[in-house]
Amino acid sequence: MSSSGSSSSQSPPNMASISDVSALFQTAKKYEELNVIGTGAYGTVYKARDLHNGGQIVAMKKVKVALTEDGIPLSTLREIALLRQLEAYRHPNIVRLLDVCHGGQSMERDHQLVLFLVFEHVEQDLDSYLKRAPGPLSENRIRNMSYDILSGVDFLHSHRIVHRDLKPHNLLVTSSGRVKLADFGLAKTYDTEMKLTSVVVTLWYRPPEVLLGVPYNTAVDVWSSGCVLAQLHSRAPLLQGGCDSEQLHCIFRLLGRPARHEWPESAAIPVDSFPDYPPRDLAALLPRAHPQALRLIQGMLVFDPAKRLTALDCLEHPYFTEEPLT
Amino acid sequence: MPYWYYDRKDLQNTPSFRDGIPNDTENRYRKEGARFIIDTGSKMDLGYNTVATGVVYFHRFYMFHSFRTFPRYITACCCLFLAGKVEETPKKCKDIIKVAKSLLNEHKFSTFGEDPKEEVMTLERILLQTIKFDLQVEHPYGYLLKYAKCLKGDKTKLQKMVQMAWTFVNDSLCTTLCLQWEPEVIAVALMFLAGKLSKFEVVDWNGRTPKHTAWWDMFVEDITMELLEDICHQANVIADSMQYPGNASLR
Ligand SMILES: Nc1ncnc2c1ncn2[C@@H]1O[C@H](COP(=O)(O)OP(=O)(O)O)[C@@H](O)[C@H]1O
Ligand SMILES: [Mg+2]
Repeated sequence: MSSSGSSSSQSPPNMASISDVSALFQTAKKYEELNVIGTGAYGTVYKARDLHNGGQIVAMKKVKVALTEDGIPLSTLREIALLRQLEAYRHPNIVRLLDVCHGGQSMERDHQLVLFLVFEHVEQDLDSYLKRAPGPLSENRIRNMSYDILSGVDFLHSHRIVHRDLKPHNLLVTSSGRVKLADFGLAKTYDTEMKLTSVVVTLWYRPPEVLLGVPYNTAVDVWSSGCVLAQLHSRAPLLQGGCDSEQLHCIFRLLGRPARHEWPESAAIPVDSFPDYPPRDLAALLPRAHPQALRLIQGMLVFDPAKRLTALDCLEHPYFTEEPLT
Repeated sequence: MPYWYYDRKDLQNTPSFRDGIPNDTENRYRKEGARFIIDTGSKMDLGYNTVATGVVYFHRFYMFHSFRTFPRYITACCCLFLAGKVEETPKKCKDIIKVAKSLLNEHKFSTFGEDPKEEVMTLERILLQTIKFDLQVEHPYGYLLKYAKCLKGDKTKLQKMVQMAWTFVNDSLCTTLCLQWEPEVIAVALMFLAGKLSKFEVVDWNGRTPKHTAWWDMFVEDITMELLEDICHQANVIADSMQYPGNASLR
């Protein structure tokens, strides 16, 4: 058999050529970076031009992945595979992932690979949208944005993805005012990376179970969404703590201190370390909000994750069903 | 989103063909590469899904590169290595290379170069870029089982038919069928073929409606007899010319 085939009739190809060929794949040749549009804890996002697609503007996220003894870590490959798979559904409230590529060989000496995730470019994030809003958002706009957010969250949850970091910076607002979720699905890739320590991670959207260091699940995203929904009404963050314990104080000043039997056994802090705050009325904090909106948000901001509404419950809430969405 | 299906013309005008490799030689390379992935995978106790994923990567890779630039056995190794990680059945690169070495003669193994592991690592990045990180691949196996559940008739005969269809799917990995048709369609066609050969005629199935003229109408729309026969022909040609006994390696 060894005499058959064209490659075996010549001397074995010089495999060094593989490195030359990989130069053809340099991402830089496909996308032209324009400017930085966001620097998060784990990567930098650039506005870029897709040179192969008529100069379409895209958002390109650079993530550094540490290579292991056996190449690209399994967890990263799994996460990218899942992101790619999700994309097949083209969910309207999830940012489009257009392409994934890497920076080629040049980083080899550092034992890391630069991954490029190429997303559709969306006008702005919800943080800047709210900051730029000239006045309160209309009730209709709030309701639509709330529904968009919860639809996106429900979609992720139905594919067993927990976002873990829902906040206005990770929600994108299109020019027509639709909201799309971004910055999810790479938790394990991030975990293995050195975080840029200079970047402060906001605690304002963190649920109590995370702050208390107990196990968590999809309910974390419902909490965070609840905080964001409240913020749509007031255009200011609802719970602004400066550190973990301060954030818990903020939470309990709103909800009241949880009863002893509700306190998780494995919590890092005892319940007694908090004063016995009485619950406050959310309506006083969000005076403009529709009563059904308040009820929905209250159902999302429940201390016990098991008693919190699910994203699907939220979508079926009277706030959205009593009157048709426009 | 990348699209991974090609028509006849694309399958003839491949990078290898443009590089001076005749079509039938390329088809033989594809068959040998796929077979090598199957053999290496089964020697390492990798499941049929991992093996099939590796083979699909392999076929897709050579829609962008020539067999002259990238020798088939090291590419095959790399495809299996990557598939192992993606399907969460990882094998150490050095172990895959060890098995590969045991299956190849010295001449063929020489294409792995001075430092085979480093070559595979480099190739992994080229492979990822080539398949555009589109890592999750579906295979006909799951569909076979899904379809079988709906068919009515003699249990033993049905089982025999599914078993036969399963073997055809294994064989089809050595062809470019996965570059032409979705796994659903391949599963229908090969189940149809198995039914014919095992003389099991499907006359009734769960979920049958008056609109259905055949059981597959329930799962895939617009499948013509012509298409089924074309797919069966392509798969069958391989089954007949296969020199490997038993096709047992993927059980
Ligand atoms: N597709 C996009 N279109 C426009 N801006 C984006 C897009 N993706 C991210 N951004 C901007 O970049 C910032 C950081 O992106 P993100 O994906 O959240 O990365 P990080 O993990 O660093 O937080 C976002 O807060 C947002 O302002
Ligand atoms: Mg972010």
